Amino acid sequence: MARRRSPARLVVALSIAALLAVFLLYTSLAGGATPSLQPGELEGRDGRVLLAGRVVGKVGRDGRTIRFRLRDVNGSASVRVVYTGSVPDLFRPGRDVAVGGELRSGVFVGEPGTLVTKCPSKYEAKPDSA
Amino acid sequence: MPELGRAALVLALGLTLYAAVAGGYAAFARRRRLATSAANALLAAFGATAVASAVLLAALVRRDFTFAYVADHTSRELPLGYAISAFWGGQEGSLLLWLLVLTGYSAAAVARGRRAGRDVVAWVVPVLGGVGVFFALLVVAVASPFATRAPVADGAGMTPSLQNPYMLAHPPLLYLGYVGLTIPWAFAMGALLSRRTDERWLVATRRWTLAAWTFLGVGQLLGAHWAYEEVGWGGYFAWDPVENAALMPWLAATAFLHSVMIQEKRGMLKVWNVLLVIGAFLLSLFGTFLTRSGIVSSIHAFTQSSIGAWFLAFIVLVTAFSLVLVFRRLPLLRSRTRLESLVSREASFLYNNLLLVALCLTILWGVLFPLVSEAVRGEAVTVGPPYYEFFLRSFGLPLLLLMGIGPLIAWRRASLRSVGRTFLWPFAVALVAGGALLAAGAGSSIPGLVAYTFSAFVLASIGLEFVRGARARRALGARSWPAALAALLTANRRRYGGYVVHVAVVMLAIGIAGSSAYQTIAERKLEPGEAMRAGSYTLAYRALDVRDGANAVERRAVLDVRRDGEALGTLRPGKNEYRAEEARSNEVAIRSDLLTGEDLFVVADQIERDGAVYFKVFVKPLVNLIWLAGAVFVLGSLIAFWPDARAERRLAARYEPQGAPARA
Repeated sequence: MARRRSPARLVVALSIAALLAVFLLYTSLAGGATPSLQPGELEGRDGRVLLAGRVVGKVGRDGRTIRFRLRDVNGSASVRVVYTGSVPDLFRPGRDVAVGGELRSGVFVGEPGTLVTKCPSKYEAKPDSA
Repeated sequence: MPELGRAALVLALGLTLYAAVAGGYAAFARRRRLATSAANALLAAFGATAVASAVLLAALVRRDFTFAYVADHTSRELPLGYAISAFWGGQEGSLLLWLLVLTGYSAAAVARGRRAGRDVVAWVVPVLGGVGVFFALLVVAVASPFATRAPVADGAGMTPSLQNPYMLAHPPLLYLGYVGLTIPWAFAMGALLSRRTDERWLVATRRWTLAAWTFLGVGQLLGAHWAYEEVGWGGYFAWDPVENAALMPWLAATAFLHSVMIQEKRGMLKVWNVLLVIGAFLLSLFGTFLTRSGIVSSIHAFTQSSIGAWFLAFIVLVTAFSLVLVFRRLPLLRSRTRLESLVSREASFLYNNLLLVALCLTILWGVLFPLVSEAVRGEAVTVGPPYYEFFLRSFGLPLLLLMGIGPLIAWRRASLRSVGRTFLWPFAVALVAGGALLAAGAGSSIPGLVAYTFSAFVLASIGLEFVRGARARRALGARSWPAALAALLTANRRRYGGYVVHVAVVMLAIGIAGSSAYQTIAERKLEPGEAMRAGSYTLAYRALDVRDGANAVERRAVLDVRRDGEALGTLRPGKNEYRAEEARSNEVAIRSDLLTGEDLFVVADQIERDGAVYFKVFVKPLVNLIWLAGAVFVLGSLIAFWPDARAERRLAARYEPQGAPARA
C-alpha cells in the first residue's frame, strides 16, 4: 500500500489558502470596490458610487454632455444625472444603465467613460418596447 | 411544426431519464445488456435533440413567425447568416444548443470511452444521462424554444451588436467548450462510482478535456476580437462577469491538463485532480448560470429569473453529489508516491496549479463579491478592472516565469547545480532582452517590462528544448534539421504540442502587455477639414459620408491617415442606424500594421448634425500578436490532440495487467 500523505503539505496548502482568503477579503473590502446603488438609495451618500437605474423622460444633449433622469428599476425614486463623454450605442430612454460618479447638490455627476448600458440584450435580443 | 419540435424534446427527456435510471440500475446490479440499452438511449437522445434543433433551424431560416422565438429574435430584413445565429442568440435556443452538444458529446464519449474500462463506462452513462435530464427538462417545461403565438407581420429583429460574423462562431465554440467539460467530470464520477480509480479515466478523457479547453480558449479569443472590432470602446476584455464566466473554467481546465501529467507519471495528486475536474465542470455550469440568469445585468434581477433558480439548484445538486462521492472514495485515492523535493518538475507543476487555481478563485470572488456584500452588508459592492488586473499581474507573471522553468527541470529531484546549468542560456537571454528593452524605453511600465523579460526567458527555454530534442534526433539518425524537428514533433506530440501552446501564451502575454501598458489614447472634436495627432500618426478629417445600406443607414467619417509624413490611406469609422431594431452601432476603423503588429484604432464616438465628429483614437502596439496567438494556440492543441496510437496503447497497456484493483 502507498505511504500516507505527509500532513505537512496539507497544512501548508491550507494556510496558503487561508492567507489568500484573508488577503482577498481585505483588498476587496478596503480598496478598489465601489458600492452599487439605485437612485432611491442615493440620499445622504457621499463618495464615489456606481449608480444603476432606468433612463426615464427625455435625454438632453449639449455637445459631449447629456442630461437625463435615472429612476429605480422597480421603484419611483429618481435623480437627475449629468454626464460628459462616450455614450454607448444602446443608451436611450427605457434602458437600464449604470454610471460611476457622485452626488453633488442633488445632481449625480457622472465620470467620463463610465456610462454602460446593462446588457439588456447581449443574449436577449428583444428591444424594450417601453 | 412546433409540435414536432416539442415532441422530439419530450422524447429526448424520456430517453435521458431512461439512460439515467436504467443505466444507474444496470451499473449497480451489473446488468450488462441493460447497460448497453441505456448507452443506446443516450445515442437516441442525441437523435431526438437533433430533430428538435432541425425544426428550430428551419423555422429560423423560413422566418416562421408563429414561433415566438423566431418572432422575438429575427426579422425579415435580417441576413440569413444572422437568422441562423439567432439559434443561440436567445435563452431558449441556447439551452437547446446545450442539450444538443451535450447529448452529442455523450454519445461519442460513451462509444469511444471503452478504454476507461467497461465498469467505468457503465457508470458514465447514467451520470451523463442525469445531466441530460436537467437540460431536457429546462427546454421541455421551463423555457421551450417551441412556444407559439399569433403570427406577426415582422419580427423584432436582432440587436445590432450581435449582427457580426463572430456571432456565428463565438457562442457555439464556447458551448463546445463549456459542455465538453461535462465529459471528463462524468468519467471521474464513473471511475469513483465503479471504484476503478486508477489512471485509466484520465487516459480516456485526456483528449476530451483538451478539445473542450481548446474550444473554450478559441471561443474566448474570438469573443475578445468581437468586442475589439464591434463594441468599439478600444479594448478587448473588460472583466465583465460574462467574460469571467468563460475564463474561470478555462483556468481550472488548464490546471487540470497540467496536473494529470503528474498523476500519470508519478501517481500523485489524485484527489486534487478529481477536485479540479469537478471544479471545472461546476464553473462551466456557473458560467452558463451567470449568462442565463440575469444575475449579470443586475443582481436585483436575481430572484426574478426562473432559469436562474433551476440552475442554482442543479449546481448545488452536482456539488453535493460530487463531493460526497469523493469523500466516500477517499481511501481509494491515496497517492502512490510523494513529493520528494521542492525543486523538481512535480513541484513546479504544483506551483503552476496553485497559481492557476488562485487566479481562478480571485476572479470568482470578484464576480461573487456584489452578492456576498449584498448579503453581508445589505449593499451591493462591485469590484472593477483594477482588482482583476492586480491579481492577473500577481499570479499571471509568476505563471509566465514557471512556463519557462517547468518543462526544463528534472522529475523527482533536481540539484541546484543542474538547475544552474539548464537555465544558463535562457537566463542570459532574458537578461540581455531586459537590458535592451530598458534601453528602448520600455521601463515606462514595470509590469510590462517584467512581462517582456519573462517572455524572453520562456521563449529561450522552449527554443532550447527544441534544439536539444532535435539534436538528439539527429544523433539517432535523422538526416536534416527539419527532418529531426518533424520526427521530434510526431514522436512526442503531447509534449511538443504543449510547447507550441506555451509559445502562444507568451505571444498573448506580449500582446496584452503591449496593448495595455504601452498604448496611446487621443480624443478630439474635429470639424471637416481639421486634423489631430495620436502617437506618430496624423489624422485629417475630410468629410462625412452618409449611405443607405441594406438594413441600416451608414454614416462614415472619412479620415486621411499619415505617419511621419507618409500617407497610409483612409480610414472610415462611423455609426450604423438600424431601421427594424431602432438601434445604433459603432463601426470602428482599424489600421493594422502587419510588420509591427501595431493597430491604429479609430472610433467616431459622436457624430453631430453639422458634420462635426468626436473622435477617439488608440494606438495599440503589438495587439495583433494576441490574435496571432490564437492561431498558434490551435496549432499546438492540434499537435497535442492528434491521435498517437502508439502512445495511447502504451498508456492503456500500463493499466491492463493489474486487472481489477483491490477493493478498499
